[in-house]
Amino acid sequence: MAYDLLIKSGRIYDGSGMPSYLGDVAVSGGRIAEIGRISGGAARTIDAAGLAVAPGFIDHHTHMDAQIFWDPYATSEPQHGVTSIVMGNCGLTLAPTKPSDHDALVKSFVRVEAMPRSVLELGVPWGWHTYGEYLDALDGKIGVNVGGLVGHIAVRQYAMGEESVERAATAQEIAQMKRLVLDAMESGALGFSTNRNERHMREDGKPVGSRLADDEELFGLCQVLGELNSGVIETILGLNKIEHFKFYDRLARVTGRPILWQSLQHRWAEPDLWRQQLDAVAPIFEDGYQAYGLSHTVPLVRHFTLKNCQVFDEFPTWKALMFLPVEARREALKDPATRKKMRADFAEPRKTNFHRRWDVVQVEKCAKPENRKYAGKSVAEMAALRGQDPLDAFLDLALEENLDTVFQNANNGGDSAAMGEILRSPYVLMGTSDAGAHVQFGADFGYGTTLLGLWVRERRLLTLEHAIHKLTFHIASVFGLAGRGLLRPGYAADLAIFDPQTVGSHEPEWAEDYPGNTKRLIQRSDGMHWTIVNGRPIFANGKLTGDLPGHILRGTSYRGRQAAAA
Amino acid sequence: MGVSYIPVARAGEVSEGKMKPIELGGRQLLLAHVDGRYFAFGRECSHEAADLDTGALEKSQIRCSNHGYCFDLASGECAVPQGGPSLTTLPVEVRGEEICVKLEW
Repeated sequence: MAYDLLIKSGRIYDGSGMPSYLGDVAVSGGRIAEIGRISGGAARTIDAAGLAVAPGFIDHHTHMDAQIFWDPYATSEPQHGVTSIVMGNCGLTLAPTKPSDHDALVKSFVRVEAMPRSVLELGVPWGWHTYGEYLDALDGKIGVNVGGLVGHIAVRQYAMGEESVERAATAQEIAQMKRLVLDAMESGALGFSTNRNERHMREDGKPVGSRLADDEELFGLCQVLGELNSGVIETILGLNKIEHFKFYDRLARVTGRPILWQSLQHRWAEPDLWRQQLDAVAPIFEDGYQAYGLSHTVPLVRHFTLKNCQVFDEFPTWKALMFLPVEARREALKDPATRKKMRADFAEPRKTNFHRRWDVVQVEKCAKPENRKYAGKSVAEMAALRGQDPLDAFLDLALEENLDTVFQNANNGGDSAAMGEILRSPYVLMGTSDAGAHVQFGADFGYGTTLLGLWVRERRLLTLEHAIHKLTFHIASVFGLAGRGLLRPGYAADLAIFDPQTVGSHEPEWAEDYPGNTKRLIQRSDGMHWTIVNGRPIFANGKLTGDLPGHILRGTSYRGRQAAAA
Repeated sequence: MGVSYIPVARAGEVSEGKMKPIELGGRQLLLAHVDGRYFAFGRECSHEAADLDTGALEKSQIRCSNHGYCFDLASGECAVPQGGPSLTTLPVEVRGEEICVKLEW
């Protein structure tokens, strides 16, 4: 047989953003051998007619540092076409470390990333000391490709012990931290992450160590990457503020490395902030430096009826009404005097999360057949059809239907025009899945499939070619992942094969698959047929295959690579 | 336009420093007893909707165990990070042996 694997008759979206085309992809030895009309035989053939063939997606913002030990697929990543993950974000890593510091690192993961302590105690097979040993502990045991950033919190803990959460570092300690970062980078780290978020404490209420780092320390550690000319610098500063861009600008200029900052998304509470953020970052790029903003693709949609509604809790009259017993609420909502008060509540000029825009609130589902014509329309549109004022139409429709009319609203990520500009921006890096963290509160494994289903297919905000570029080569380029993220001969055969007509993500659901049968949220997908890592399927037609073809993704300053090149 | 007092617990039912899930008008809330005072607030964190029943009472605040957002129990104001979205709170009055939520519209 000429090839190990032949993917026939798919539509190839090669990750570059160039127009897609029909063709076959041949794979040999884990790499793409040939693309085009291929007539040679193969040990295995996949019929991809009607399907998109794309580079596997790269989830660059995960906290899989622990989960990857008991779950080599980092589920539910393969279900959504992800073939490579990057862990070690937000300053948190499990290496370098001394045995006496294991619990200190656990304390940070438990509180900052909301991971159950029992899971970490049961599931992390400590035994490494250096960052390189940590990566080595995973080598050969993983289904997806795994790379990592070295985290400031672990580095500081290593150099300072418990003093790391108490005080600034001395010059000697900074020098030791620099050596640790250098060693991690030369052992294969893809970059360095830090954390200055005021919310980020350890389990014992002490601030995570990186928060106590002054600029001399932080810039000194980041400059290690600058001198190596390698790796990304990932940051989290807390609530988004425009003045943060002075910091990103300085860090980018001093180090010359790509800076990753969190985050931007359209929010009605501050509807222009995302634009101000993009305007603030543009001059950094125009001057030749890189500071990429991370963005969600998943809108925070609320589905509600007036029987169970918290959308209006910021408005005192509305709030009281929405807690009344339903019969009393129904009567009150009919009362013109109450409506006058509700209207006055809305008119009061002050900042609220709810946007007070009836063209944004949607009628999702009507209970009565005669009202079903309103489904899918905004309240403003529905009111116009009824010849009513929007507030009256909103309340009257709900009252006609015994308060069972379903409405929907998204305060975050719900504005298509804004989302389009954010998603298309070259300064925005797609994906903040946080996979492996907050596991009992949410699951955003499907940020990629949501991008392809909701924003590409349904809303047509960007082309499929562009979206795939953002999920693959854009990220591979920023992270310096050589030979990945594109479909080209010689590149790793990391592939996502999916149906563009059905691809999408499900709502998260509970599973008991963590150590000790601990519950966590997983997420299924639609339309993802195959996920292939280094030429070997790990997810095929709805099931994990059991194969473990993942590689450790080591950065450009990996000393093993340098030695081999020499 | 009116006022309603809705009983949600009996005096002594919620120990000092503890919370009790309550339902009001079909919605889920928590009733907390802190320093001799009672506070009623929405069970969903206003940041990303995590269940505050798993949160921690810290003096007159509740801290969400998901992302660490902290809210003032009386005003609902987001204390950490300052300027974050407010938590839904409702006024509570002790009326005889009953702990009541006061609704005024």
